[in-house]
Amino acid sequence: MRITTLARVAALALAASVSGPSVAGTWTVSPDGPLKQLRIAIGSAQPGDTIRVLAGTYPEGTLTVDKPLTLIGVGGPVIDGQQKGDVLLITAPRVTVRGFTIRGTLVSNVNDNAGIKVKEADDARIQDNVVEHCFFAIHAANSRRTVITGNRVLGDPSAPETRQANGIHLWRCSGAEITDNVVQHHRDGIYFEFVTDSHIRRNKSLHNSRYGLHFMFSHRDTYSGNLFQNNGAGVAVMYSKEVDMRHNRFLRNRGASAYGVLLKEINDVTIDSNIFIDNTTAMMVDGCNRAEVKGNTFQGNGWALRLFANAMYCHFEANTFVGNTFDMSTNGNPVYNTFKGNYWDRYKGYDLDRNGTGDVPFRPLSLFAMVNERMPYAVVLSRSLLTGLMDQAERLIPSMTPEGLEDAEPLMKPPHGTRDL
Amino acid sequence: MWKVYKYTLIDLARNKFVGGWMLLLLGISFGLFQLEDQPVKAMLSLSQVLLALVPLVASVFSIVYLYDAMEFTELLAVQPLRRSKILGGQMLALGTALVIGVLAGAGIPLLAFLPDGASLTLLLSALMLTLVFVAIGALIAIRNREKARGVGLGLVVWFLFVLVYDAVLLWVMFAFSDYPIEPWIVPLAALDPIDLGRIMVLLKVDLSAMMGYSGAVYEKFFGNATGILVALAALFAWVAAPSAWAFKAFRRKDF
Repeated sequence: MRITTLARVAALALAASVSGPSVAGTWTVSPDGPLKQLRIAIGSAQPGDTIRVLAGTYPEGTLTVDKPLTLIGVGGPVIDGQQKGDVLLITAPRVTVRGFTIRGTLVSNVNDNAGIKVKEADDARIQDNVVEHCFFAIHAANSRRTVITGNRVLGDPSAPETRQANGIHLWRCSGAEITDNVVQHHRDGIYFEFVTDSHIRRNKSLHNSRYGLHFMFSHRDTYSGNLFQNNGAGVAVMYSKEVDMRHNRFLRNRGASAYGVLLKEINDVTIDSNIFIDNTTAMMVDGCNRAEVKGNTFQGNGWALRLFANAMYCHFEANTFVGNTFDMSTNGNPVYNTFKGNYWDRYKGYDLDRNGTGDVPFRPLSLFAMVNERMPYAVVLSRSLLTGLMDQAERLIPSMTPEGLEDAEPLMKPPHGTRDL
Repeated sequence: MWKVYKYTLIDLARNKFVGGWMLLLLGISFGLFQLEDQPVKAMLSLSQVLLALVPLVASVFSIVYLYDAMEFTELLAVQPLRRSKILGGQMLALGTALVIGVLAGAGIPLLAFLPDGASLTLLLSALMLTLVFVAIGALIAIRNREKARGVGLGLVVWFLFVLVYDAVLLWVMFAFSDYPIEPWIVPLAALDPIDLGRIMVLLKVDLSAMMGYSGAVYEKFFGNATGILVALAALFAWVAAPSAWAFKAFRRKDF
């Protein structure tokens, strides 16, 4: 049996090679044979060949792709790693993996076992796969120009956090394109460390137990059109420079330390036209320099903005603040930051000269928000007559809230009109 | 009892005040929903108005009405009727009239402009507060012979619950902020029916902020649907306790 399989492989290899050295060969793996194992096909293929895998389940253990190949699943074949370690380990450049369902990693805290691991291999393309109940799902390290697109990364919702790892995990990569993926029920949905010059677009990161997106030391990256929803702690971005976040949606990230987006030690960041709804804290700014926060919508959050006093030269313009329990809170006096031309639903001023901006400044930091910063349990008193009177008195005669913290030109109408959200 | 209820209700229907209260609520609600470009914002403003006004009107109107009906009550008391049935009929009628007033005056605009859970919760807490303060009003009216004194006491009780209690609570929080008082805050707030009604609304509107505080008690209380149920149960207790006291006082009342 073994011999006949090998003979067929040899024959197929011959067929592939006779078609000429310049044209890549095509191999077909199918549960019905003649070529039944993907491992053998990979072993026999020449660099540049294409391997088509027909529908079926392939228990392969750890499968190493060590030459530039294109693996194409037809009809969603399942590659089962049988809990041996990684499932698909890519160690050669220019490998494409498309249309597979991958499962069966070994949970291990010694090796970061992944459904698809790209290890020191440039130009990998991971496309339209389903990665199910894996420990790490898609893991790339020391690789350039990795493309991860259209994958569905589905973690195990019943796994405890200690047995979960990250959905899409990149470490020391550059020029990556992460687009149109869905990641859910992992630890961090998308995790970057030392990843530069990369684009993250139109992904959905949902129900992850820790962060929907988590990146550190990752410079010059852009994030646009992504959805981060119901993640345990929202989105955390730390220790990075020149970050660009646009048109993302941060929804329902609730909990004591959950943030729509947590900015920690971020320099030169643009946050433009994002939508924050129903988060406990929509945006936490801690030790952040030169952030341009423009045209975002903050609606129905507990705290729209927590701006710590160590944030410097952050500029907030043309944002919409509607229906938040607190528009802003702070731990000190963040005077080196500026607010201009935002829309605040709490603004009670007037516009006599009809130029669209209110004639008296708006002070976003309420007295009750300051009280609440000291005693978080005072939140039960919010929207009471008492706190209403306190805030009103403070607005008329500011004495406790920081002097310079005001929007001198508050908009009378939301900048984009009223979004019905 | 049902006869007393019926005639009191007929009398209340003729009373201009109940109709006026309904129209006032209608005016405020429609005005707010029309003024604000966002229904949620209008609902929040309305919630502040309702949570302050409903207790005031319910208690003061109940007190005034029961004093004005005192002669009728005395007349009934000499009939072979159980006293509990007389008071039960009157209180039920007062509750019914004011509940209808709130339902029509605030309920219709709320459900028309913003038919969602938050509106329903606000309506529910306004209705419960109506019943609570009818009971408190009845208790005050029965225990005080003088009308001016009763009305004054009603105002004091309202002011206590709507403002003073919260101020004391905030002072307690400040004064004991070095001690682990977090577990006591929610039970302490439950001692004020207006706070309970407000917390019910908060649980719907400001859940995101409520989830921000990690105290174990808060998480248990706010983290799921039990929060609203517990608040509702406490409000029922707030109806039952003053009612029971009022019945007891009425049974022994010497006219």
